[in-house]
Amino acid sequence: MSARTAEPTSEKEASPVSGNIVVAGVGGQGVIMASNVIAQVLLDAGFDVKKSEVHGMSQRGGTVVSHVRFGHDVHSVTVEPGTADWVVAFEWEEGLRALPYLADEGVAFVSTERRLPPASMSDHRGGALAYPAADASPRGVVAIDTAAVAGDAAATRAAVAQTVLLGAVAARLPFPAEAWHTAIRSWVPPKTVEENITAFERGRAHKPASPTRLRQAPVVARPPALVSIEAAWCKGCNICVAVCPERCLELDRFDVAVFAHPERCTGCQLCSWLCPDLAIDVSYQAQEEHVHAAAGPR
Amino acid sequence: MIEAAPTEKRLLRLDMMPHMLCPGCGHGIVFDAMLRVLARRYETLDGVAFVAGIGCSSRVVGYVDSATMHTTHGRPLTFATGLKLARPDLKVIVVTGDGDGLSIGGNHLIHAARRNIDLTCVLFNNEIYGMTGGQLAPTTVPGAFTSTSPEGNHEEPFDAARLVEAAGATFVARAQSFRTRLFEEVFAEALDHPGFSFVEVLTDCTEYFGRTNHLGTGADLLFAQGREEPAVDADLATRPTLRPVPEKRTRPTLATGVLHRSRRSTLEEAMGLVGGAR
Repeated sequence: MSARTAEPTSEKEASPVSGNIVVAGVGGQGVIMASNVIAQVLLDAGFDVKKSEVHGMSQRGGTVVSHVRFGHDVHSVTVEPGTADWVVAFEWEEGLRALPYLADEGVAFVSTERRLPPASMSDHRGGALAYPAADASPRGVVAIDTAAVAGDAAATRAAVAQTVLLGAVAARLPFPAEAWHTAIRSWVPPKTVEENITAFERGRAHKPASPTRLRQAPVVARPPALVSIEAAWCKGCNICVAVCPERCLELDRFDVAVFAHPERCTGCQLCSWLCPDLAIDVSYQAQEEHVHAAAGPR
Repeated sequence: MIEAAPTEKRLLRLDMMPHMLCPGCGHGIVFDAMLRVLARRYETLDGVAFVAGIGCSSRVVGYVDSATMHTTHGRPLTFATGLKLARPDLKVIVVTGDGDGLSIGGNHLIHAARRNIDLTCVLFNNEIYGMTGGQLAPTTVPGAFTSTSPEGNHEEPFDAARLVEAAGATFVARAQSFRTRLFEEVFAEALDHPGFSFVEVLTDCTEYFGRTNHLGTGADLLFAQGREEPAVDADLATRPTLRPVPEKRTRPTLATGVLHRSRRSTLEEAMGLVGGAR
């Protein structure tokens, strides 16, 4: 690991000679663009900069991580775990996921925005898996409610809110605001320049308080379904039991189908479509009520 | 709050339920799919009439809360022809089976197709006479055991869709009870089609065909259909024979989907009962 002269948590007066930044988020949030802006500022300041990224599922909700390394002479393009001076994360869980990169004295700026990861769809329900709570912020994590800080700057384009995090990290780096403005102008879409610079300045001025609570309720891919079975019509042919991909249905001791595992049901309706006795109906809980119920007391 | 249950049940004569079909019978699946299509297009079935003959398939019309006629064996299309000419405003749906429509009523089927009268005919093809005791039907595949072919069937079956197409039907489709969405699609298109529209549905007789031929229960027969689903194209595949009887016999592969579609003047149009040739 290259030598550092600056304490990463110190303010602008210290001048780093090298450093590592990890930018993390979800596809479509602008992770690559943000790391381009950071790299541009560093290049303009005369550093040698190496940037590399993992963006296999960009635009699809998958993890995007970009590594930026700068110094007088940088060789490796990736940041070793435990050596990042700054982690900038656009999504809460991605931020926690990127924490192993953080050095002991490093600081992570993590947006409290949350996107339900595709992995939590593994139960086919969505929203049922526990999402890490913002209250339990590990040491070194500064949680920022980016949408609240950005305010009206992100009114029309939600992605602009993440520029707040660039402002937050810029406040810790010894480069003038103009250098950041120039880099932002050269990388963001022309129509969004003013919004981004407003959000950037609000982020620079933002003094993070205690960890922020999560702003969003859990996102639910599909409300749970209710399978109702007209027991008197069921002739126990076993088709629904055999066809259910999630094995929700069973025959009871009278050979009547019962909805034994409602927690697994995805509402695919196969049982209803293939019931020869017209005995099965699938209905859905209203979306808003389910989200409300899943969010729990706030 | 739970949203209202799916609406096809409102089209049922609830006091007649549960229906008399055997456990696992494919006819119930097709019947439910028909009701779903009708429930999407009609609030009530006041403008719809069902005509059916004799057989397991034809019994399903008795459970629809609509104008229904349960007619003599093989003659639903003749009753329906009379009904349609008297009341051209009605949407007349004929439900028939392979024995009813192809054997006893085979003559009526080809002439209804020839006349191109604006009916929608759904033929439930379970390859056997289910209601009367599992006798050989004109659609039974070669090699299959039935109560009247204890040594296996030696006859070639009808290809109902190709027969009706040759007789002059202007809309011919084939679907499976396993592929309910496909059936819903082609049935909806058949209802929209002006002229004689014919939908053959491959369903399963669990008791007389499945049990006699050791093909398993309703679920086994249903999934066997699904495994042998061919590509949907307009080209009618030929039936491979089942003789000599293989170890594991399942339904032969057939083309599904809309197989033929054309447009010519219907009988009502030719007779001036509805507003001229379109």
